[in-house]
Amino acid sequence: MASRVAFENSNDVGVFAQLTNAYSIIALGAAENFYSVFEAELADHIPVIKTSVAGTRLVGRMTVGNRNGLLLPNTTTDQELMHIRNSLPDEVVVQRIDERLSALGNCISCNDYVALIHPDIDKETEEIVADVLGVEVFRQSIAGNVLVGSYCKFTNQGGIVAPQTSVEDLDELSSLLQVPLVAGTVNRGSDVIGAGLVANDWVSFCGLDTTTTELSVIESVFKLRESNPAKIVNEMRASLIDSMI
Amino acid sequence: MVQHNFKSIQSVPTAKDFIDIVLSKTQRGTPTVVHNGWAIQRIRQFYMRKVKFTQSSWHDKLTQILDDFPKVDDVHPFYSDLMNVLYDKDHYKLALGQINMCRNLIDRICHDYVRLLKYGDSLYRCKQLKRAALGRMCTLMKRQGPSLQYLEQVRQHMSRLPSIDPNTRTLLVCGYPNVGKSSFMNKVTRADVEVQPYAFTTKSLYVGHTDYKYLRWQVIDTPGILDRPLEERNTIEMQSITALAHLRAAVLYIVDISEQCGFTIAQQSTLFHSIKPLFSNKPVLIVANKTDVVRLDALSASDRALVDEMAAEAGRISSGGHAMMGTSDETTLVTMSTLTEDGISAVKQVACDRLLSSRVEVKLKGKRVGDVVNRIHVAMPKARDGVSRPPVIPPGVAAARARRDAGERRRTEKDLQEEQGGAGVYNGDLRKLYDLKNPDWKYDIMPEIMDGKNILDFVDPDIDARLEALEREEEALAAAAADAAASMDLGPDLEPEERATLEAIRGKKKKLVADHRRKKSAGNNQAPIPRAVDPERSRTRQRMQAELGAMGLDAAAAAKSAARSQSRRGRSLVRKRDRSAAADAEMGEAEAPPKRIHSSKSRSMSRGRALSMAAPEANKGLRDATQRNKAIKMADKAQWYAGMQAKKGEGDRHIPDLMPKHLFSGKRPKGSTDRR
Repeated sequence: MASRVAFENSNDVGVFAQLTNAYSIIALGAAENFYSVFEAELADHIPVIKTSVAGTRLVGRMTVGNRNGLLLPNTTTDQELMHIRNSLPDEVVVQRIDERLSALGNCISCNDYVALIHPDIDKETEEIVADVLGVEVFRQSIAGNVLVGSYCKFTNQGGIVAPQTSVEDLDELSSLLQVPLVAGTVNRGSDVIGAGLVANDWVSFCGLDTTTTELSVIESVFKLRESNPAKIVNEMRASLIDSMI
Repeated sequence: MVQHNFKSIQSVPTAKDFIDIVLSKTQRGTPTVVHNGWAIQRIRQFYMRKVKFTQSSWHDKLTQILDDFPKVDDVHPFYSDLMNVLYDKDHYKLALGQINMCRNLIDRICHDYVRLLKYGDSLYRCKQLKRAALGRMCTLMKRQGPSLQYLEQVRQHMSRLPSIDPNTRTLLVCGYPNVGKSSFMNKVTRADVEVQPYAFTTKSLYVGHTDYKYLRWQVIDTPGILDRPLEERNTIEMQSITALAHLRAAVLYIVDISEQCGFTIAQQSTLFHSIKPLFSNKPVLIVANKTDVVRLDALSASDRALVDEMAAEAGRISSGGHAMMGTSDETTLVTMSTLTEDGISAVKQVACDRLLSSRVEVKLKGKRVGDVVNRIHVAMPKARDGVSRPPVIPPGVAAARARRDAGERRRTEKDLQEEQGGAGVYNGDLRKLYDLKNPDWKYDIMPEIMDGKNILDFVDPDIDARLEALEREEEALAAAAADAAASMDLGPDLEPEERATLEAIRGKKKKLVADHRRKKSAGNNQAPIPRAVDPERSRTRQRMQAELGAMGLDAAAAAKSAARSQSRRGRSLVRKRDRSAAADAEMGEAEAPPKRIHSSKSRSMSRGRALSMAAPEANKGLRDATQRNKAIKMADKAQWYAGMQAKKGEGDRHIPDLMPKHLFSGKRPKGSTDRR
């Protein structure tokens, strides 16, 4: 199930929210509207936490996490760390890391088993990612972009990468991540997938500008609502070709 | 191709308004005062400027008009033909051409008259030349009145044209008048087109939008067409023809099989065959409407044959003149009833599917398909190890979704926010969802800073182990230090007394060095403090006594005096009355007058020295204490009345003149300056 949502008139949902299979982190906004969209959908199953990170609302870009753990940048304040630690169940390891590239969400992308990281990330950070998140780590770039977190989004079910990715790269990445992948856009043609979209294994949220075609690609590839990736090549092929060429 | 926005064309004024606009702009935009006494060069320049200014404003305005209006040959052929039908291409081009000519003529007039002005030898002649130039320009423009009026009408009409995108997915509805084209449009889209039971209710093109297969489809409703030669068609019909000719759309040819529209099926069939050249290479559907009155099966054999023939023909021209390929009878002949809404969605579906497949077919032949091939490719993973990576979905998700679909709503933070004053007022509770071992801990206050230390710096799960390690390390260090101290030699065989002296000397040296370093590190921006202030509080009485004693002097008297002075320099601003009084008494200053509490001055005299008020002279020309007291009393009395009446005294702030003349007179308005 994919929903359209906007954070205070911004379509960059992935900037203001972080969603995993075990918890969700939402930026503190002026109103509760954005939070409540996530709350209504998720609060029955996983904790939905309202917090700032490093004093900013860019929680989705500053943090990275999955079911096993959560990594926070070294600029996270003690109070925020305590708040997040108190809100999360004990199984989730929360770790603040000293990484120079502190926008972890932009530099790291992961699901519960595999992570892609920015090629310039420290060796120590790579180890921490592997330990805390319990994932295999690969240094990768996506269609020449080193900010893997910004240009792709994948869950245990499937993933979307930036539209410039070639078919060979797609196949290679897919075998690396062991999930079906498709090149696509969000928010009416935006290629920063990570900023426009948050997803976990059963739900996803994207920006308010996302078109119906984009939305149905998202639903298909993330296998939301009994949809599956084969739909993209079968039923939607004509619509996709007609809308893109 | 240039995309024009017909809605943003600026309005075209009438000739009279146009002249007024430009002349008044000249009047406002150029200097107005000229004198006979000026140098002739200056006078010429004055008038040349006026002529040039007028010319350039005409030029700008006319250029604006010429740029705004679309060139008939530049726009999409559909719009170009539509403009021809609606506004007459020749007339339109002529009007714009005249405006263009007019612009050139105005430029030439300006050029000529500026040249003539160079030879103007008096103010009067120059003025006449300017008048002539402006006059000729205005006359020229006056003659453009009809063109301008026509262009304004065109502009108004164009701004009301529906915004049809000629390149997008389009369904085009056509047929005889009154067959139900607009009714179909109203059913599939949200456009609210007028439907009336007479012919030519729809007099122009209308656009609506509908969604199908994740895409947006443009539906165009056209006016009805009659069966007659092209030359005889009126403007209303011609709009339909233009749309049919130029838009690559799926054509829905609506046939009223009930014949209620006043045209027989035979007539409708003839029309279809006469306009079918317009349908070539487009998916064409024969839509049999009004099945609520007559069913398709109930038609007479001859009528049925006509309809089938139309369908067969539609299939043939859709596939480019070849025999039926990929189009079957079901996709070229569909039935519906706009009254009962029966079959409407089927019509839409069939039309959209056929158009989509034809568009995709064309696009796949193009070059750009290579750019998007990755977008329609789903990369499936090749297994690289035996590890299974199942999705992690909580068990309750499906049930919760079913509950929500059934209408159950969770009470969210937003509901709370609305109840408690709305956004900006409501302050959500961040702690209520804390997941702690004991829920009572949720609202425990955790201090952030304690004793100047950040508490969380000291929170550590294995603090005990670390503390122990630290203690052990410290012990080891202490032991090492003790060993070192024991083995440290203080020089060869010294007497204990000498040893003590040596230590004292070393200690003092160390202190001096440390002091020096401290001062140096503080930098040069320390205020120089006089020695007498003694910030370090090293000049104590005890030290003086000890040092003087060491020199063999008796320091008792000095210490006594020091005690007094020290007491005066206490931290408190208020002098400690008892001790200082005692000291004063001791010092024998018996002639000091008794304190007066009542006097206005007594308060200030009782203050500490912090106010640095100079002590009064011993007796300000007054003989003795009694006289002084009397003077004080008299001063008090003089103030008493004014004080009682709360009247202004000499101590009060006084502004001699609230409105000084020099600030409120002169040419400049009030508020433009403070002082002049």
